[in-house]
Amino acid sequence: MKLELIKGSRSRILAGCLMAVAVLFAVRLFYIQIIQHDYYQQLADSEQIKRLTIPAQRGMIYALSGSQPVPLVMNETVYTLFADPATVTDVQGIIKTVESVAGGNARPNLDKLLTTPNSRYQILATKLTTAQAEAIKKKGLEGIGFQQGSQRVYPEGGLAAQTLGFVDANGDGQYGIEGGLDAELKGKNGLLQSVTDIASVPLTIGSRNVKQPAVNGKNVVLSIDRNIQSYTEGALSRQLTKIGAPDGSVIVMNPQNGQVLAMANWPTYDPSTFNTVTNPSYFNNSVISSPYEPGSDIKTFTMATGIDTGAVTPDSTYNNTGVVNIDGIDIHNAPGDTQFGNITFQTAMNWSLNTGFVTVAERLGDGQNITLKARQTMYDYFYNRFKLGQLTGIQLAGELPGIIIPPSSPDGNAVRYSNMAFGQGLDVTMLQVASAFSSLVNGGKYYKPTVVAGSVDEYGDYHPAAPETPTTYIKPSTANQVRDMTHVARTTVFVGADRPGYYMGGKTGTSQAIVNGRYSNTDTVATYLGYGGTKNETKYVIMVRVSGPHFMGSGAAAAMPIFTDISNWLVRYLNIPPQ
Amino acid sequence: MTYQPTTYYNSRRQQNWSRNQNTARFSSAVKLGPVAHTVLVVLMVTVLGLIYLTQATRTTSYDYQSQAIESQIADLSTQKSDLEVENARLTSLNNVKNSNVAKAMTTPSNVQYVQQ
Repeated sequence: MKLELIKGSRSRILAGCLMAVAVLFAVRLFYIQIIQHDYYQQLADSEQIKRLTIPAQRGMIYALSGSQPVPLVMNETVYTLFADPATVTDVQGIIKTVESVAGGNARPNLDKLLTTPNSRYQILATKLTTAQAEAIKKKGLEGIGFQQGSQRVYPEGGLAAQTLGFVDANGDGQYGIEGGLDAELKGKNGLLQSVTDIASVPLTIGSRNVKQPAVNGKNVVLSIDRNIQSYTEGALSRQLTKIGAPDGSVIVMNPQNGQVLAMANWPTYDPSTFNTVTNPSYFNNSVISSPYEPGSDIKTFTMATGIDTGAVTPDSTYNNTGVVNIDGIDIHNAPGDTQFGNITFQTAMNWSLNTGFVTVAERLGDGQNITLKARQTMYDYFYNRFKLGQLTGIQLAGELPGIIIPPSSPDGNAVRYSNMAFGQGLDVTMLQVASAFSSLVNGGKYYKPTVVAGSVDEYGDYHPAAPETPTTYIKPSTANQVRDMTHVARTTVFVGADRPGYYMGGKTGTSQAIVNGRYSNTDTVATYLGYGGTKNETKYVIMVRVSGPHFMGSGAAAAMPIFTDISNWLVRYLNIPPQ
Repeated sequence: MTYQPTTYYNSRRQQNWSRNQNTARFSSAVKLGPVAHTVLVVLMVTVLGLIYLTQATRTTSYDYQSQAIESQIADLSTQKSDLEVENARLTSLNNVKNSNVAKAMTTPSNVQYVQQ
C-alpha cells in the first residue's frame, strides 16, 4: 500500500511546518557552527582552557663555613588566610581560632572584617606557616580559604644584611646580591595551558595544551665565610659601641684570589623585617657604595708607584722640614711630627708623613716638581693598575665608582696630585682600596674582587666557581718591598699588638670628612688597612673604616683595634701555624 | 630433421588468475530489510560511541589521579623545604653559640701546632 499525503490535508500542512522548522534549525546551526565558528570557539576556550603560571622558585643564597656551604637565605612556604564574609557561618569560631593559631600574623579587628557587608574577600592573616595553616584547616570552618605563597627567610638572622639585600613585595631583589644577581636568582616562570574541569584540574583532552616547566633560580654560594662574617660584625659593633662612633664598615678579603670573606656594616638591619626600617641608609653597603677620601692608606700605593718605576726605594732619603710647597701651596705633615731632617721613606711610612709622599710624586717627575709626566705615571698606576676610582664589577647592587681626576683635566694639576699622593683629592671605595692593597701583599697580582664562590645544583652539590685570573701586574719585588714597609710600620708603632709568630702589616688613615662639599673640622674618617699571615704568604687583608656625623677619631685609635681584634682571631680560625 | 613442439608452461599466476575473486557465491536465506539495516547501523554507532566515551572518561580519570599525585608531590616538597629551613635555623650560629655545649666550652689558654 502506498502512503500518500492528500494535498491540503492537515497532515500535509503539519509535515510542511515541521520541514520549515527543520530548515530553520539547519540554517541556524549552519550560522552558529560554520559562520560564527571562531566566535563560539573563543567563548568555549575562555571557559574551558586556563593559562596557569608555574612559579619558578627563587634561588637560595649560601655562605661558606670553612669549605661547606650553609644557607643564608631560603624560601619558606607561607599562607594567606582569607574569608568570604557572605558564606561565613561561625564568626566567633573563626576569630577564636585565628587569634589563637596565627598570633601576631592575624589582622586586627577580625570581627569587623568578617561582617563587612557586600564583601566577598577579606584577608584575616598573612605569612602563616604550614603548621599554622594545617591547624586552622583542621577546624573545618566554613567561609575561609588559603592562598599559598613563598617568602625569603634568613636562618642566620641579620648576618651580612647589606651583602644579601632583600626581595621586595613585587618579588624583585633590592640591594646586595639579591639586587645584583636578581635575574639569575629569579629563574623563569613556567606555563601550563590546559582544558580544565570546574575545579580547575587540568585535563589532557584537547590538542592545544601547553606545558613549559619552570626554571628555578640559581642557588648562589657566596665567598662570605659565616664565621668570619659573624666575628667581624661583632668586633665592629663592640668597638663602635665602646668609642661611641656612629658608623663603621669592615671588609675581609683573601688576597690570593680576590674573594671577599666578610663585609660588615654598622648600623645594620634584619632583612626579614626590612619594611620596618626607618632609615634607608641602613640598606647601603658602605664598603662598595660610599666613596670617600681614603687618607694615608693611599701612601702605600704612592710608594709602590715610586718603587715600581725606580724613582725611589724604601731606604731612599729626603729632607723632612715638616712642610713642602707645591705651586705656592704649603702642604704640612699632621701635628706631632718629630722626624725632621734627612729621613728614609720607610720612616715617612712609619709616621705617615705627608711630605715624604709628596716628594715621591716629585721624583716621579723631574725631582723638583710634580710634572705632567709624574701625574700621568701616578694616574696610570692608580687608575689602570690599582683600579681605583672605577667600578670593580663585584656582583652586588649599588656599587659606586668614585673618581680620580686625570692629569688631562684642568683639575688634574700638580696641587691635586700632591694631595692624591697622601690620599686626598680622590674618591674611592673601601672595596677598591682593599682589592688594590691585596695586589701589594700577594706578589703584585690584581684580582677582580668577587663575593661569589660557586653554586649549588638541584641535588645540593656544591660547584666552586673557576678561579679568577689576575688582570694587572706590578713587579713582585715592588709588592714585596711595600709589604715589608707596612710590616715595619705596624710593628714600629703598634708594638705587641699581634700574636707572636705571624707576619702582619698595615697602614693607618685619618682624613677630614667632606660635609656639604667642604672639609669638616668636626668629622673625620678613620681607617686601617692591613694584612696578616706568614712571612711566606699573606692569608688575609682587612680594611676598617670608622666615621659618621661629628665623629672625631684617628685611624690608629678608632680603626686599628678592630683590625687587631679580627686579625688575632683570624689566624686561629684559619689554622695558620706561627713561625 | 624433426622438431619436438615446445612444452607450454603455464605460470602459477596464470593458473590462479582469478584467485582473488570469489569463486563461489553463497546466498543467505536471511533477508534484511531497510529497517533492520537502520537499526543495526544505529546500534553500531551507539556501541562505538559508548566505547569512545569509556576511553575518554578513563583518560580523564587518569588526569585526576595525576593531579592527586602532583598535589602530593607538591605537599611533600613543601614539607621538605620547611624541614630544611628548620634545620638551617637549628644549626645557625646563634643557636650553636647559645647551646649548652657551646656554653660549656672554654677559651684555650695555650695553643700549639704540630708540624708534620
